[in-house]
Amino acid sequence: MRRLLLSIRDGRGFDIGLVSVPLIFLFAMAGLPLIYNIVMSFQEVDMFSLGTFARPFVGFKNYITLFSQPETWPILGNTAIFVVASIAGQFTIGFALALFFWTGFPGSSWLRGLFLVSWVMPGLVVGAIWNWILSGDFGVLNFLLKESGLVSANIFWRSDPNFSLWAVVIANIWLGISFNMILLSVGLSAIPQDLYEAAELDGANVVQRFYTITLPMMRSSIGALVALGLIFTLQQFDLFAAITAGGPNNSSNVAQYWAWDLSFRQYDFAQGATISVIMIVFVMFASVVYVRSTRHEVRG
Amino acid sequence: MSIALRDKLMLMVAVLLAAVYLFPLYWMYVTALKTGSAMFASPPSFWPSDPQWSIYGSVWQSRNVGRYLWNSFVIASGAVSLIVILGTGCAYVLARYRNAWVDVGLFLILMLQVLPASLMITPIFVGFSQLGLLDYPRVAVILAIAAKSMPFFVVLVRAAFMSVPMELEEAALVDGNSRFGAFFHIVLPLARNGILVSAILIFMQAFGEFVYSKSMIQAIEYQPASVGLNSFMGPNTNEWNNIMAYAAMYVTPILAIFVLLQRRIVSGLTSGALK
Amino acid sequence: MTLHQIELSGVNKYYGAYHALRDIDLKIRKGSFVALVGPSGCGKSTLLRSLAGLESISAGDLVIAGTRMNGVPPRKRDLAMVFQSYALYPHMTVEENLTYSLRMRGVSKEEARRKAEEVATTTGLSALLGRYPRELSGGQRQRVAMSRAIIRNPKAFLFDEPLSNLDAALRVHMRKEIRALHDRLGATSVYVTHDQVEAMTMADHVVVMRQGVIEQQGAPLELYDRPANQFVAGFIGSPAMNFVPAQVGADGRSVVLDLGTPHTVALTKSLEAGRVLIVGIRPEHLQLAGEADAGLRLPVGSVESTGAATYVTTATQPELVVVLNSRVSIRPGETLPLHLDPAHLHLFDRETQIRLA
Repeated sequence: MRRLLLSIRDGRGFDIGLVSVPLIFLFAMAGLPLIYNIVMSFQEVDMFSLGTFARPFVGFKNYITLFSQPETWPILGNTAIFVVASIAGQFTIGFALALFFWTGFPGSSWLRGLFLVSWVMPGLVVGAIWNWILSGDFGVLNFLLKESGLVSANIFWRSDPNFSLWAVVIANIWLGISFNMILLSVGLSAIPQDLYEAAELDGANVVQRFYTITLPMMRSSIGALVALGLIFTLQQFDLFAAITAGGPNNSSNVAQYWAWDLSFRQYDFAQGATISVIMIVFVMFASVVYVRSTRHEVRG
Repeated sequence: MSIALRDKLMLMVAVLLAAVYLFPLYWMYVTALKTGSAMFASPPSFWPSDPQWSIYGSVWQSRNVGRYLWNSFVIASGAVSLIVILGTGCAYVLARYRNAWVDVGLFLILMLQVLPASLMITPIFVGFSQLGLLDYPRVAVILAIAAKSMPFFVVLVRAAFMSVPMELEEAALVDGNSRFGAFFHIVLPLARNGILVSAILIFMQAFGEFVYSKSMIQAIEYQPASVGLNSFMGPNTNEWNNIMAYAAMYVTPILAIFVLLQRRIVSGLTSGALK
Repeated sequence: MTLHQIELSGVNKYYGAYHALRDIDLKIRKGSFVALVGPSGCGKSTLLRSLAGLESISAGDLVIAGTRMNGVPPRKRDLAMVFQSYALYPHMTVEENLTYSLRMRGVSKEEARRKAEEVATTTGLSALLGRYPRELSGGQRQRVAMSRAIIRNPKAFLFDEPLSNLDAALRVHMRKEIRALHDRLGATSVYVTHDQVEAMTMADHVVVMRQGVIEQQGAPLELYDRPANQFVAGFIGSPAMNFVPAQVGADGRSVVLDLGTPHTVALTKSLEAGRVLIVGIRPEHLQLAGEADAGLRLPVGSVESTGAATYVTTATQPELVVVLNSRVSIRPGETLPLHLDPAHLHLFDRETQIRLA
């Protein structure tokens, strides 16, 4: 130990010091809360016992309560729909844009940068803007839809239970396009050009080259992207807060918003913790997939 | 079709796509300038006939936007400083070696990155209130954001360090530097670009953070602009021009930084930060 | 049936304002092995890629097996190319790499597999069909790249510096293998290389290029014996030809070499007296002479011995490199007696650098 401390400037102590300080910080700020969450889900918590750690242990009671509530399965269903629809939309549009810009016409690199805007904007602002765009009577989206003849009457995106979830999905797809596009662009440019030339000489046309060369070689990028997409979509909160606040009547409520709502609006911390434990399981699964997709890297 | 013609066509299509994509931004700026009646006009006009430039001044005053923006800035700067100080060294070590320990370290870091803030806030809130940290709400938020965003920073910066050849560091060591010296004087300056780009991205994320701020800062004088915007928008709001003006003032500093550094950011991301 | 498998007439190519290929006329016979050789930037790869269709031609005609191929996309030209980096599909096994072109054309799986096994036997890859490219050595990957070309039975094979990524010993071995394969298949091959030894040993017909122009083309020994200009003379042959400024003697039957001090050598035919020119002498043509028949006595600058041969650099202005095919014990500062057969003199005009007949 003493030798380790002596080698802080030079040698192994240096490495360990540099890594351990942030890891301790992260463990305290993220690891402990995680454990705390899990513990809390097995306890009975109320406003008064909030300050203490030792609260009555109630086993799986919270979980049973959770699943016996009528809104639980619909909300979980909404979460699934939200995730699948968002990822599908973001991925296809992001991929299409990545392919489009990959052709490298003059001006493409500059224009491509414009599409990163959604990544740097605060989620709440994006939500506010889309809230206004999706307004039933005065929103510009309805206007454009009616003008182009796609719909005949206004869709009340935010207040119609059939559409409220899709309102957030649309905004989320817009938000996620840049990330998808960038990641897929990186994957595309990693494919050597002479593979395409060889394939062309071998008789493959554009479509064949896409399916036999591009897609297979992008497998790890795509895997990483879908995993990350899952993780980030499950984190999406700001849009819900800004557009529908989960309503009307839980029609656009999803697990991550509901957990927060239970804890900070309804002060049912135990239920909030319970949902978060369930979600964490899914998120862990996705991150394992992500790590496996990006396994092969060596220092340059 | 000749190459030149095809290029021009692609450019036109690209500009069109960009216009469609950026339409929400445009709509925000345009709505802010509309009068109350123009806002609700049907069909909505795409260019305000009577632009109300004074709206920015009045919203700034009435909603105290200056104070909100200042809080956002303080929180974001605090978080980024903490992240850069703690995260850079960590990323360096994780880039330098590749063994079982590093794999475990990376895995742990990634695991910690995946947890949504809206779930973590519960125990963090409880823990902080026990520690009395909630009496310093902005500090509490800075710590929470640092923990949330550090893994992302470490992953990005690690990639930047991986592009610095090991031989340079070895040469520095042979020349008589200590490990610290080699890191500080040789490796760090070479990875500076990647660190800068990552720090900028983290700053922009922290500038827009909402969940932690809303949950932990009750005092209105410490709230950042995101919470301010949310309090502006109740369930039945219809002063959209004011809201959009607020949003525009909130977002424009970020957009300005982005436009100025766009080239750098894009090349930093595509050169290897995202693998 | 056309005699020539590939014909290029008046081919020019521009990259913007840059004139990459100038008035290329090249006829390649069916079954012949043609090497395109020259320094970097001479246009040989551009020419090869234009044959493949990976680059377009600005002017001129390209005819393959009797059909005009200007503007025809690569996949319709029925040419196979072996790339410098091999361009093996990393996500496919060796067998899948081989059968790719067949699958693209709709050949049945069983038929494709049968053909792959057939070709693999020819190139010695049968045991490796199930492996992935990353599991193979450099030489094995090279053979996969070639097998992939062979399986298509193309109108011609195009090689783009296929051996540059291999070590020296392997290169010598693969040279022979490639040529043997070419003979066995009765193929037509166009081979790009910057290594003139490869070109000389492998090709039936060598094309020397410089800055987009064909400087000379012909059989290898033709280029060696009668280079058309100074560039070709200096490019072909290793070590490179020595060039000495000289002047024809007063009698017109001998030439005075300006090596700092004058040295006179006889000519095989007479020239205009007093004419200035450049004389080229190959290092291997300066032979060790006895004292009696030493036409040239030159001071020695440095000596290098490889055991089999001795390389002597003379201390003259300009220096001459001499290659002696035996072990000679001579030291710097001594005088080397040399004999030069006048038939081995190459004469070039000093301004135009073109060979004087």
